Amino acid sequence: MVETGHFALVLAFALSLVQTFVPLFGARLNNQRLMAVGGPVAVTGFALTALSFAALASAYASSDFSVASVWENSHSLQPLIYKITGTWGNHEGSMLLWVLILTFFGALVAAFGSNLPATLRANVLAVQGAIGAAFFLFILATSNPFIRLNPAPIEGRDLNPILQDLGLAIHPPFLYLGYVGFSICFSFSVAALIEGRIDASWARWVRPWTLVAWMFLTGGIAMGSYWAYYELGWGGFWFWDPVENASFMPWLAGTALLHSAIVMEKRSALKIWTLLLAILTFSLSLLGTFLVRSGVLTSVHAFATDPTRGVFILCILTLFIGGSLALFALRASRLTAGGLFHPISREGALVLNNLFLTTATATVLVGTLYPLAVEAFSADKISVGAPFFNLTFGPLMVPLLLVVPFGPLLAWKRGDVFAVAQRLMVAFAAALLATLVTALFIDGASVFAALGVGLAVWLILGALTDLAVKSGVGNVAARIMVKRLLGLPRSVFGTAFAHLGLGLTTLGIVGTLCFGTEKILSMHAGETVELSGHTLRFVGLYPAQGPNYAEDRGRFELIGVSGSPVGEISSAKRFYPVRQMTTTESGIRTIGFSQLYISLGDEGKDGSVVVRLWWKPLVTLIWGGGLMMMAGAAMSLMDRRLRVGAPSRRRKQASAVTSAGLP
Amino acid sequence: MLFWVIAAILTLGASLAVLLPLAASSKGASSSGDHDLEVYRDQLSELDRDAARGLIQPADAAEARAEIARRILRLDNAGTAGGGSVGRASVAARLVATAAVLAVPLVSWGLYVKLGSPDLPSQPLSERLAKNPADSSVDELVARAEAHLAANPADGRGWDVLAPVYLRMQRFSDAAAAYRNAIRLDGDSAVRQAGLGEAIASAAGGIVSADAQDAFEAALKLDPANAKASFYLAMALAQEGRTKEAVTAWQAMLGKLPPESPWRGAFEQALAKSGSPEVASGGTTNGPDAGDIDAASSMSPQDREAMINTMVAGLDDKLRQNPRDAEGWMRLVRSYVVLGKVDQAREALGRAIAVFGADSNEAKKFTAVAASLGLTATE
Amino acid sequence: MTRKQKRLSVIAGGLAFLGAATGLTFYALGQKASYFYMPVDLTTASVMPGQRIRLGGLVEKGTIQRGQGAMVGFSVTDTHKSVKVTYTGILPDLFREEQGVITEGTFGPDGVFVADSVLAKHDERYMPKEVADGLKAKGVWQESKSE
Repeated sequence: MVETGHFALVLAFALSLVQTFVPLFGARLNNQRLMAVGGPVAVTGFALTALSFAALASAYASSDFSVASVWENSHSLQPLIYKITGTWGNHEGSMLLWVLILTFFGALVAAFGSNLPATLRANVLAVQGAIGAAFFLFILATSNPFIRLNPAPIEGRDLNPILQDLGLAIHPPFLYLGYVGFSICFSFSVAALIEGRIDASWARWVRPWTLVAWMFLTGGIAMGSYWAYYELGWGGFWFWDPVENASFMPWLAGTALLHSAIVMEKRSALKIWTLLLAILTFSLSLLGTFLVRSGVLTSVHAFATDPTRGVFILCILTLFIGGSLALFALRASRLTAGGLFHPISREGALVLNNLFLTTATATVLVGTLYPLAVEAFSADKISVGAPFFNLTFGPLMVPLLLVVPFGPLLAWKRGDVFAVAQRLMVAFAAALLATLVTALFIDGASVFAALGVGLAVWLILGALTDLAVKSGVGNVAARIMVKRLLGLPRSVFGTAFAHLGLGLTTLGIVGTLCFGTEKILSMHAGETVELSGHTLRFVGLYPAQGPNYAEDRGRFELIGVSGSPVGEISSAKRFYPVRQMTTTESGIRTIGFSQLYISLGDEGKDGSVVVRLWWKPLVTLIWGGGLMMMAGAAMSLMDRRLRVGAPSRRRKQASAVTSAGLP
Repeated sequence: MLFWVIAAILTLGASLAVLLPLAASSKGASSSGDHDLEVYRDQLSELDRDAARGLIQPADAAEARAEIARRILRLDNAGTAGGGSVGRASVAARLVATAAVLAVPLVSWGLYVKLGSPDLPSQPLSERLAKNPADSSVDELVARAEAHLAANPADGRGWDVLAPVYLRMQRFSDAAAAYRNAIRLDGDSAVRQAGLGEAIASAAGGIVSADAQDAFEAALKLDPANAKASFYLAMALAQEGRTKEAVTAWQAMLGKLPPESPWRGAFEQALAKSGSPEVASGGTTNGPDAGDIDAASSMSPQDREAMINTMVAGLDDKLRQNPRDAEGWMRLVRSYVVLGKVDQAREALGRAIAVFGADSNEAKKFTAVAASLGLTATE
Repeated sequence: MTRKQKRLSVIAGGLAFLGAATGLTFYALGQKASYFYMPVDLTTASVMPGQRIRLGGLVEKGTIQRGQGAMVGFSVTDTHKSVKVTYTGILPDLFREEQGVITEGTFGPDGVFVADSVLAKHDERYMPKEVADGLKAKGVWQESKSE
């Protein structure tokens, strides 16, 4: 079974080579047969990669220590679920997951791409095949998960205990679905450059793929953030760690792409820019893969260190980024520019969005790469952390967030900013009120905190205003209004949900950062402590034995108003003997949208325990907002507009709708 | 055999995926203009839907409609130039097709033969453990014991039995964990504490750390005559550079030891070396473990040396079977140097480097250790 | 305004925006990037009290002292020099004597380094990359020591 997986992997590599060259030549020679090879090969390549991945997963599940990567990253005493998730919890397996997703998306293009012009489809599949070939080669040459050991050791060396967590098990697949999803946009862009023309269907394809990739990337980042929050025991949700930035940069660029693709689709404007943005977004995804997988950074997340891998990925990076940008420089002038628009219009707002987002991406890029550059060119070592990003990223985001509610309400081509402002009057008044109430009635609220709350309220109500205006609130009867609301295109809901999610996340961040409280103290069993109106009693420290660890569990009782316990929170120090590692399991209790967070420290000589407690108001909204954004993306994906018909098949139906719709 | 059949079927399937589309009669393709037209039609219908819902002002709608109409017109002007020509089987196309069909089996089999291990079956752990115990290796017996302890983690005696076995297998951190568990479940004893200390020290490459010292001190408190604990505590002194105190302690202990104690050898050896930097760096002189002490207690010096030789040979053997054990290699090289077998030490070093590759971190480590022992790789 | 003027003003606005962003980025890099030092570097580098730096090295043996509540004092050493550090909070799981550590914070007027974060980040050898590089450069740490 293991060797079947290995063989399937090699075969998938061979097919990816075919997928690269045959359709490319086919498109060049305008040969239908050669072009037709792309589709079946892409689907077969995916099937083989899936077989290979299944073989590796089954080796992990059955603790087959004759496979080197299983021996290095697994242990027979692990719970089955973590044995399986361990498949991609290490470098080799995660790269296999990467190509699995890549070939999956390639297969989707092959399966649903029948409505694309043949040459475009062939070129897209060829570019997708080339990315696949590069990464298959990378895996086979430097990170082969199927290297065998003979004789097989009898016990593995355990998965890093920090990684034994469900959140982390789902986080990389989501992140990769996002990263790799952008590869489709990249392939479409490069295909358009190879052909020298942008089809109208180009935008219609790029937009849903951007949505899919963006949706998963949002989920991946939110999950990673929540994982770091509860697993690392520091109570922070974002550390501006280079590895986090590596996933955040494609997200920012992808968000820009998402918005510019709308302009492109609706107005055929910003074509060249969108194309460039698609290339840049995937380039940042590749850069992220490089940063994480090469070990050039040392950070809490980076477990991989091997220079040969780094150099290999750097070559892939140079080839694809350099190649696509060179192609862009050569061919971009041949592409025709699209429609014109007034600066104050929906397009104008989206351009503004792009300007801010790409600049923000650039600042994150600079902050992430600058320490590496300094270290490479001088002896100094510096670190660029939260203070830098707060100073640069923050000022870029605030004005962007301020104008977000205007965007969806502006008309295409030429908008009336005063009319829109009038419609947003209610949201604005409410935001102002929220600011004043916060500043005046909440103890310890700074001006920044109050403005932050106002901004979040403005975003949330702005998103709702969009829905209200479009369903005609105030102009029509309630019954018609509901009918119109339900009849709105899904993409309108998508926009509103995503912007609402943004507002919720902002509210969560402001709440946690500005109103959170924290206490560090050493406690004896039986003592109580009060934190922001919550009373906690430390019950004591209890030893326990887990499947592959021993732990000291500190139990706390939450005391209600009546003085009797209303709930229990427990935090633990776990010791994993195989790796001789200690981890902290934080104790969390959710109250409304807020959370009480307990982290256990060292035991003192007198039996007391150092305890760190946080009260984190509205903290769950940070990730709840992320979920909301994902829901928005899913909503937009369901919009009928994105299901483009192939020629001839839907023509009659479409014209029927057209005539019916005419007044 | 089965594997090759599967591999052949997979290759056949993959080749068919290339071959079939090449062999199929090609259908006439629609021109890209048709596709664009379809998209514009769709845009028109969407515009109409929006207009019907009142999402867009009638004037704006008319303007947008005109714009889309212009795009359609432009499409017509561009004409049907981009129409797909059906399957011109040029020479170039034939070449590409042939190369593609050949590439699949050639690349995959060529690469797999180089990379794969087709003769190795899968070895799920449960299958290996289900074998008859009599056929099992020590490793497998230990794995059984571990499985038993995983199910019954409160079995203190089990940990107590397993701990010295781990120590002898050089799984020092496991040994330390097992000793800790035994102490936690079955209580303190001098032997357990001394064993724990030895495990911690051995895991650190012979360096008696603060944790190890604590354990040895606990052992001495329970049994002031525990030779292992006093030996290592003196070693700690030597490692801190307090050689004189160490020598005094060793000499004092040597005086107290019964004449038949297996520790005599270790003490004498340590004393003999205490002038040299060897003791200070703490690398080599590990005391014999509990099992060996029992065996060695009635041995003549010749026999003892023979036993040491056998142990080293055993380690050598083990490394031949299971070569990816960096710590084992270093121990082997050191042992040969200590025994004065420089040639064998050099040969072991060469093998160790060969296992991990000359550029690997391990190889560098080996060379560094060897250099510190006054050994250079001549190859 | 003519169409050309309009376009020019849009482009000028965009460039001004980008210029401002670039300026801000470089200002922030100069102000907010914290330099990494080993204790012995501090004899030659001039670090002002209040300037944020990262200090790395090994936790010196026998210097960990628990103070009031969650306050902890310890020394960070590169075996040539050591620096006293105080920190209030929970030390990371990997914090141990004679293991690598990175602290971030500022020097107080009394020459004691007040850390607001302590990281025992590590690679497989339980050694932060910066600390390992620094120690290697100073000839203190050899690969062979880490078995």
